[in-house]
Amino acid sequence: MRVDPFYVVNLSSSLDQTQASQEQLTQELSSGLRVTSIGDDPVAAAQNVQLLNTIQQDDSFTQTTSLTQGMLQVTDSALGSVVTQLNQALSLAGQANNGTLNSSDLKAISNQIAGIRDEVLSLANTNYQGQYVFGGSQTGTTPFTLNSASTPATVTYNGDSDVNTLVSPTGQSIQLNVPGNQIFTSATANVLGTLNNLVADYASGTAGSGVADTAALNTALNFVSQQRVTIDNSITRLTSASGTATQEATQLTAVQTNLMQADIAGVSTQLSLAQSQQSALIDVIASLGQGSLFDKL
Amino acid sequence: MGTINSAMALITGALDADQMALNVTSNNVANASNQSYTREVPNWSENQPIYLNGLAQGAGITVTGGVSQRDRVLNQRLDQQQQLSASSTSLLTALTTLQSSFTPAPSSTSTGSIGTDITNFFDSYTQLESDPASNPLRQQVLSSATTLAADISGAAASLNAQQSSIDQSTTTVVSQVNALTSSLAQVTQEIQSASPNQDAGVLEDQRQSDLSQLSQLIGINQITTEKNGLSVTTTGGQLLESEGASFPITSGSVNGVTHFFLGTSDITAALATGGGQIGGLLTARDQSIPTTLASLDQLAYSISTQVNTVNNAGTDLVGDNGNAGNIFNAPTQVAGSAAAMAVVMTDPNKIAAAGLGLGMGDDSNALAAANLATQSFVNGQTPSNFYSNLVSTLGATVSETATQNTALTASVTQLQTQVSSLSGVSLDDEASNLEEFQRSYQAASQTFTILNSVMASALNLGVETAVA
Repeated sequence: MRVDPFYVVNLSSSLDQTQASQEQLTQELSSGLRVTSIGDDPVAAAQNVQLLNTIQQDDSFTQTTSLTQGMLQVTDSALGSVVTQLNQALSLAGQANNGTLNSSDLKAISNQIAGIRDEVLSLANTNYQGQYVFGGSQTGTTPFTLNSASTPATVTYNGDSDVNTLVSPTGQSIQLNVPGNQIFTSATANVLGTLNNLVADYASGTAGSGVADTAALNTALNFVSQQRVTIDNSITRLTSASGTATQEATQLTAVQTNLMQADIAGVSTQLSLAQSQQSALIDVIASLGQGSLFDKL
Repeated sequence: MGTINSAMALITGALDADQMALNVTSNNVANASNQSYTREVPNWSENQPIYLNGLAQGAGITVTGGVSQRDRVLNQRLDQQQQLSASSTSLLTALTTLQSSFTPAPSSTSTGSIGTDITNFFDSYTQLESDPASNPLRQQVLSSATTLAADISGAAASLNAQQSSIDQSTTTVVSQVNALTSSLAQVTQEIQSASPNQDAGVLEDQRQSDLSQLSQLIGINQITTEKNGLSVTTTGGQLLESEGASFPITSGSVNGVTHFFLGTSDITAALATGGGQIGGLLTARDQSIPTTLASLDQLAYSISTQVNTVNNAGTDLVGDNGNAGNIFNAPTQVAGSAAAMAVVMTDPNKIAAAGLGLGMGDDSNALAAANLATQSFVNGQTPSNFYSNLVSTLGATVSETATQNTALTASVTQLQTQVSSLSGVSLDDEASNLEEFQRSYQAASQTFTILNSVMASALNLGVETAVA
């Protein structure tokens, strides 16, 4: 049976193979990645794309919520201050309505309520980083303007009724604003209108229709508190959605890392095996392939 | 009744035969490192005996030359495997280059990956929802759009460049093929005139070497014809060489791509499936690259068109109520849209974040744009899923080709070993043969010396005389 006289040549091509496998293992170790090209593990590469997509969306949403929280907090505290002001106005109106005050006292109360109305107006025109928060989508225009020429004074709303939402990665729609005409000049309970009426009522020095208007103001205060709840809800939901997103991102990052990273211990072992294989092969090639019968002739 | 003369003639013949055998052995040893050389074995043939008075008298031996130890069937088997292996190797090389445009992103913050670019672009709209009038957030939308367009068009450009470089390589390979087929025709002619009925020795070695080189370049079928002739056709059945005439493959440009012709028929498609280096190159050029490019085009076209549509359906910051303008270069057709993908919008204020007729604080159109990420508008899939499928399809092809290539290379090595075992020169064999022929020569020359002195005795009629 004859053997291949060129078998030493084949051994050297095996040497090439061990060399190549060593190079690949070294590259895995140095980059720390198990999958350096899509051909190494196509399924992992495809999963990687989808995992990164979700992780990035979650991270981006977390960033967005921190930008939005600021605005929502400002809106909420503005409404809180409005409630305080309205409570004050109510107690003043109560005083005026009990019939114990004289004309000049009533005029004084009228002025105080006018002061409160101005304060509520400026709260309704709250501005956060250059945007009017109660203007609906018209955030560049002052939402409420006062016309004191008439009696009672009138308030014009210059914004619109647009409501903005933010959508979380899970598809939850979170309201970001409440339009001014819904809180301050709504048909159900017109805060600014009622205040203006009260000012006009007591300005003449008599109670006028102050009692009816005070009842309207009470309704308006409850109404504002209700609107505040919407904003508070949004803050809560945003915080919880952000928390969920962060948690999901952390978990998926761990999964993605496991998928793509090299198992350092395993690779090191393989590398040392490949190295010993190569040196053994070199020794074999060196000692074989030497000499033939011609040496003895 | 033998004569001393006839004995001497016989021994002289033996000396010649031994010398010839030594020649054959020396030739083998000289070609010991030549892998395409087939070892020769001296062909001993006994001369016809002479009949005198009914008695047969031997007439000695002749060596008629060396017989090449080759198995044509085994050689053909090796050639066929080399065709498959060469095709697989050149395809794998092309695919490895192709996949480098789609390297997986190691983490969510890494850059340069189309997948992360797509997500970043739609995420920039999500961030815009929180403050639609913000200039930095709008700038971010445009810059992430630019990154996405740059990476997609860059990938398309690499693919196109690779395609044209492979195109050039195929032309080189074909010219090599033509040179080999004409050399093959010449050798076959010589073989047919020199030794039509038996193995042609060195000429046959040359022909086998040509065939082996040809097999690595192109897929061929070998058909032996009468009088030691050979016809070579492509695996698709087109005649390349026959009866000492060779037919060159010509090339021409069809739709901007080089096609190959034999005579008047276009054999490009047949060559792609036929094997050999050109088979792998043509498969990469006409199948693998165009498929990936088509997917990229589909992705670019869908994203560009949809984002433009959404932007034109809202209100921007400079007063455009609808028709605010295109963000991306609007493609007219799917083909070529990846290479042409670019951002044409320069003013971030023209991004229509608000809905139609609404003020600058509204985010409903930004919402619509961000929602595109979860809508299945790219051939029935979301953009991220579409890209993920592109990656897994291409990756699977590469992985499969790599596995095939390893198996084919191993089988070629095995066949090569078998061929070398049969046809390779073993120095040990030749050394022992050398000794044998040397001994045989010595014995013959010794016999000659004895016969010489017997002759002298005969001439001197029984008186012992020294031979001068």
